[in-house]
Amino acid sequence: MEFVDTRKLQFQPQLQPQQHQHFHVLAVDDSVIDRKLLERLLRGSSCKVTCVDSGDKALKYLGLVDELDDTTSSTSLESSSSSPPPQPLQQEGIKVNLIMTDYCMPGMSGYDLLKRVKGSSWKDVPVVIMSSENVPSRISMCLEEGAEEFLLKPLQLSDLDKLQPYFLKSLDNSCEKESANSSIDSENDDNVVIINNNNNNSISKRKVMSPEPHHERSRPKMKELAVV
Amino acid sequence: MLGFGADLLWADMNRLLAFLFHQGVLDEQFLQLQQLQDEASPNFVSEVLNIYFHESEKLLTNLRGLLMERDYKKMGVHLNQFMGSSSSIGAKRVTNVCVAFRAATLQTNRAGCLRALEMLEHEYCYLKNKLHQLFQIEQQRALVAGVRYPVQNQNQ
Repeated sequence: MEFVDTRKLQFQPQLQPQQHQHFHVLAVDDSVIDRKLLERLLRGSSCKVTCVDSGDKALKYLGLVDELDDTTSSTSLESSSSSPPPQPLQQEGIKVNLIMTDYCMPGMSGYDLLKRVKGSSWKDVPVVIMSSENVPSRISMCLEEGAEEFLLKPLQLSDLDKLQPYFLKSLDNSCEKESANSSIDSENDDNVVIINNNNNNSISKRKVMSPEPHHERSRPKMKELAVV
Repeated sequence: MLGFGADLLWADMNRLLAFLFHQGVLDEQFLQLQQLQDEASPNFVSEVLNIYFHESEKLLTNLRGLLMERDYKKMGVHLNQFMGSSSSIGAKRVTNVCVAFRAATLQTNRAGCLRALEMLEHEYCYLKNKLHQLFQIEQQRALVAGVRYPVQNQNQ
């Protein structure tokens, strides 16, 4: 569902008119209700949202299925460097600024999807994992594999605040990539790492130290926000 | 007169909501749903709930069949889905029964599963009835509020 909102343009004064200026989120979740909720939440932030219901479909959308068909995940890094990956669809006009995926899905899990994405040409795209269960070891595992954020379900409007840095950073990236300079890109990546580490360390520590029973979950989340 | 009616209905709705919160039937996630309803998504809550009802009834039917077949693993998978969607709409009691039910499947405790399934069906039915009640009040309130304005114009 695409919600084109001209208010979005006020965040991108420097962008030249281009086919896809809107912040584009790829949402992966097998639950119909959660996809609908995510769409509505992100629409409120003026994002374009593409929803798919499985990790396989997400990989297909990103054009990653063919190159990894014959390889195991452990060799995915090698295969992506030996055979040039399908050009990140920027040339085809598809750009993804953020991937949000559920952890628990039939077939490919969100963690597996994360690994595949981080081992591909899409590795610079931030990946956010969502889960209804607060399992500290799961959270650490995802963050270590390169997930930028781990959000507890059900998602709320306040969770979008955690995503704001990515909305803004991506716009900076787009502006700077316009001048086509790879050194600037790596500089941005460094900045991303610093910002993300701060966020991730502080958030993950809180979650690791205080695993709350399911129904108590929303209260500790409020505390986390207050500290941030 | 009609304005008075709308206010009474609004009070009824809030009383029912407060009751449901107090009983732990609903939690703050339900409020979140309501907050997501706006002019661009005027029927958001009812759309989400209709998806939920449709999905839940299928899940319950499947669960009964799987219990007869003693397929505890598949029951666990269904329960994960049921838990997820119930939690996403703020159906706290239903979610909690799913958690207990899932524990019973992990223990392959057939009697426990049977009890849990009955409880789940009961809680789900209760939730559905209460939510329908809520919607009825809301619809009446919208009707009454809609009629009020032409009457006021005539009085002027």
